Amino acid sequence: MSDNHDEHQHMNIPKYLGIFGILVVGTIATYFAATIDMDWIFPGANTLVALIIAFTKMSFVMLFFMHVYWSSKLIWLSAIASFFWLAIMFAFTMQDYVTRGTGIFSV
Amino acid sequence: MQNADVIGADFPKEPKVNYLTNGTTLKSWLLTKDHKRIAIMYLISVSVFFFMGGLYASAIRLELLTPESDLMQSGTYNKAFTQHGILMIFFFLIPSIPAILGNFLLPIMIGAKDLALPRVNLLSLYLYWIGGALTLFSLMQGGVDTGWTFYTPYSTTFSNTFVMAVGLGIFINGFSSILTGLNFIVTVHTMRAPGMTWFRLPLFVWAQYATSLVMILGTPVIAITILLLAIERVARVGIFDPSIGGDPILFQHLFWFYSHPAVYIMILPGMGVISELISNFSRKKIFGYEFIAFSSIAIAVFGFLVWGHHMFVSGQSIYAGLVFSFLTMVVAVPSAIKMFNWTATLYKGSILWDTPMLYAIGFMGLFLIGGLTGLFLGSMGLVVHLTDTYFVVAHFHYVMVGGQVIAYLGGIHYWWPKMTGKMYSEFWGKISAMLVFIGFNLTFFPQFILGYQGMPRRYASYPEELQVLNIFSTAGASVLGVGLLMPVVYLMHSLFYGKDAGDNPWMLPGLEWRTSSPPPTENFETTPIVTWEAYEFGEESGLDLEEAKRREAITTVR
Amino acid sequence: MASHADTHEHYHQPGLQHQFEDMKQQEESVSIGMWLFLVQEIMFFGGLFTVYLVFRSKFPIAFAAGSNHLDAFWGGLNTLVLIVSSLTMALTVYYAQRGNRNMQVIMIVLTMLFGATFLGVKAIEYTDKYNHGTIPVDGWNKKTKKGEKPEHASIVLPFETKVSAAEAKPGAEEHPYVNERGVFQITEHDLELVAQEKDTLTESERIGYYSGDVLDPAKFRDKIRIFFWIYFVMTGLHALHMIIGLGLMAWLLWKAWTNTFSADYYMPVEMSGLYWHFVDIVWIFLFPLLYLLGRHFLH
Ligand code: HEM
Ligand SMILES: [Cu+2]
Repeated sequence: MSDNHDEHQHMNIPKYLGIFGILVVGTIATYFAATIDMDWIFPGANTLVALIIAFTKMSFVMLFFMHVYWSSKLIWLSAIASFFWLAIMFAFTMQDYVTRGTGIFSV
Repeated sequence: MQNADVIGADFPKEPKVNYLTNGTTLKSWLLTKDHKRIAIMYLISVSVFFFMGGLYASAIRLELLTPESDLMQSGTYNKAFTQHGILMIFFFLIPSIPAILGNFLLPIMIGAKDLALPRVNLLSLYLYWIGGALTLFSLMQGGVDTGWTFYTPYSTTFSNTFVMAVGLGIFINGFSSILTGLNFIVTVHTMRAPGMTWFRLPLFVWAQYATSLVMILGTPVIAITILLLAIERVARVGIFDPSIGGDPILFQHLFWFYSHPAVYIMILPGMGVISELISNFSRKKIFGYEFIAFSSIAIAVFGFLVWGHHMFVSGQSIYAGLVFSFLTMVVAVPSAIKMFNWTATLYKGSILWDTPMLYAIGFMGLFLIGGLTGLFLGSMGLVVHLTDTYFVVAHFHYVMVGGQVIAYLGGIHYWWPKMTGKMYSEFWGKISAMLVFIGFNLTFFPQFILGYQGMPRRYASYPEELQVLNIFSTAGASVLGVGLLMPVVYLMHSLFYGKDAGDNPWMLPGLEWRTSSPPPTENFETTPIVTWEAYEFGEESGLDLEEAKRREAITTVR
Repeated sequence: MASHADTHEHYHQPGLQHQFEDMKQQEESVSIGMWLFLVQEIMFFGGLFTVYLVFRSKFPIAFAAGSNHLDAFWGGLNTLVLIVSSLTMALTVYYAQRGNRNMQVIMIVLTMLFGATFLGVKAIEYTDKYNHGTIPVDGWNKKTKKGEKPEHASIVLPFETKVSAAEAKPGAEEHPYVNERGVFQITEHDLELVAQEKDTLTESERIGYYSGDVLDPAKFRDKIRIFFWIYFVMTGLHALHMIIGLGLMAWLLWKAWTNTFSADYYMPVEMSGLYWHFVDIVWIFLFPLLYLLGRHFLH
């Protein structure tokens, strides 16, 4: 319990408002980034930028609003593990689709 | 309870209040938060599903006695094998060891009063009941015929059976399994008794932990997949039907992302039971404790990387097939590690041939065959010949029945005296263990040959040349059926007429043997303090060594 | 978690359940349990994101076209609304930890208010889809006969998408909106987009949109319909989570009102907070992936 009591000192209202500000800025940035055509860099650059911003926003929410920053290793681990498993699902599914080659099975 | 220093076969003079006698009203059972009572309720309900699944199995084997589809039309046959698969996999095998033995023993084995979240535990039982009731109800209304795999677009567009209702049943049941897994992980992390370090945990607990990881990470994916399937069935548009631009192979990816790891939900707990049995009934510290513990975790993790081996001939890319085939070989390694360690444990142990040990030895032989034939099926070239034949059917029955069901029966026999306080007839126990072993092999070994000869799975008829082996198989199934029904009789009999088991009938050091049989509601009278390593049979364990020797002398065969 | 426990010898504190030795053990267990629940939620939504990933990488232009039918203004507004609600939720925990009843109640009410606003906006958006024939199921859209004037649920706003803005403008009368059977419909703008991006189409797009060498509007429509199907499933499940969250909040409100929480016992607030933030995070990803993905194709 003492851990949780310490946590009281970590966040205060100005800090919460600061995080909130970052999230608002992130949202606006996402919108405007999406209106710029970045396909000339490489196809999908827009999506990459959008995802980077989303990840940043998520990190702030998780670390400070959800107090992960002050949480036990196990909680860090479960947060990271879930994204790792998502990555497995994405990567191992996509390794099939991107290597289908041409022909009837390529759809 | 026993004298603090020495634990032995203590026969209580007067009955104490235990978890069974603490409250006898129906309400005290239905609203209980006691993990032991919940386990007993699971035991009863899971057995019902096992029995129902068994009925379908008998129907299938009877149909296959003759080459023609005479007993059932193909449509009926489709329903029979589908319902057999669904009941056995989702409602028997997945909850079997975790929800019954795990629920009962995990808190006791780590010296806790209960699971960390008893109400969640009760909720998961209710979800199991609701899901199960829904499934049973729709089976009675007419059932499903899609196969337990629900492959699209057949299940979304063409089948006009009760796909939705059964799907919903499995969906709800999935959350039961998720909550059980969640509860176990929390419990192992926070509820261990003083001195119960991670490496003093019984290997059964490690196995449950690994299983729970798979449940939490995999089961939600099948839940969402079934949901998507259901939405597509209602809306008649969706993402799986190729005639409107959908992708049936995506369904297979999502389905097997869960369902391959799920086969480890169906074997890891069994492996945990076997680790207990092998070490305890050889009276020898298990060989390579850490290796067995970490191989469970390795199986849980690597099990997520091989699902594509179910899709070699589906249209998946050859490259992906290669990767999945290679990783399938890799994932067999941790299972092999366990086999080697168990064998090394047996070496020079003083082996006690009690009923549970017969099951454990049976497991080792059968799982070996099941696992090795898995490697045949994991080789991309060979599988083109073997896939969708009876070879696959034989493979997974060797691992699921020869592995998990046998381990489950071994576990039930092993812990029965703890759960009920009564000892069953050893004679009938041994007879049934042997009948199960013989019947099982007679049923499923011929199927390897049938499959190799090209008999496809999921058909009600087959060429006449294959009838002889099919007759063997059906005959074996009858023996197996008798072997499986016998425990119901003598275990029930033991409840009323069995002799008192005493607190520690097998003379073993584990924490569960240090409390009375049946245990009191709060498991231990005082929180135990653990000072010994797992599977310690010498002085340090605090066992009554004299008594243990005497018991050994009766049952050991050297 | 309930605020009472069975009578038991280890009964030290209100809120301590019988199976635990002390509050620390209980709090640890509950928070690990909640996090594992969130892990399973992530995998649950993860299946949907996999579906999205596969179809988007197969049919990027169809997805862009579909996305351009969504109204980024409402989507963006909802993102902001959810972020504010996340702030008020975080502050609820903050005040619960300090046992400040009044501020807790205010913050919970605000959180619920913003949550409800979010759902209201979603309702407006869904109605808009209904009016424009972009609900992926035939027959579930608004049925408009020839000559009938179409209603536009949404007003023309500064960030209104090009597609719906064009439709809503007075000039749009040249293409009267007819949908007698309430089927899923796409517009000419969508087809223009394929023509515009003709050189960058993927292999599966070339097979998926064309019959031989000619663009096949029916085939292309099917792919856009898949986008909308995914859109409705994803946002629908997200909205369902919001509704459950509102239920949780109502329960919390009652608990806070009766002064249950203090510096020693605030786990229920903290746990509900985790859930609420998780739902917010899902939206943080849904917004760019659904509403904005085709934006840069509009020149
Ligand atoms: C040594 C580890 C294992 C390997 C390498 C392995 C490999 C395979 C492969 C490659 C298949 C696909 C065959 C095909 O459809 O062509 C398969 C099917 C199957 N395996 Fe295993 N397996 C292993 C262990 C297990 C275990 C432990 C279980 C369950 C307890 C299991 C249950 C199943 C089931 C149920 C199927 C059939 C699924 C279906 O199509 O209905 N396997 N296995
Ligand atoms: Cu597999």
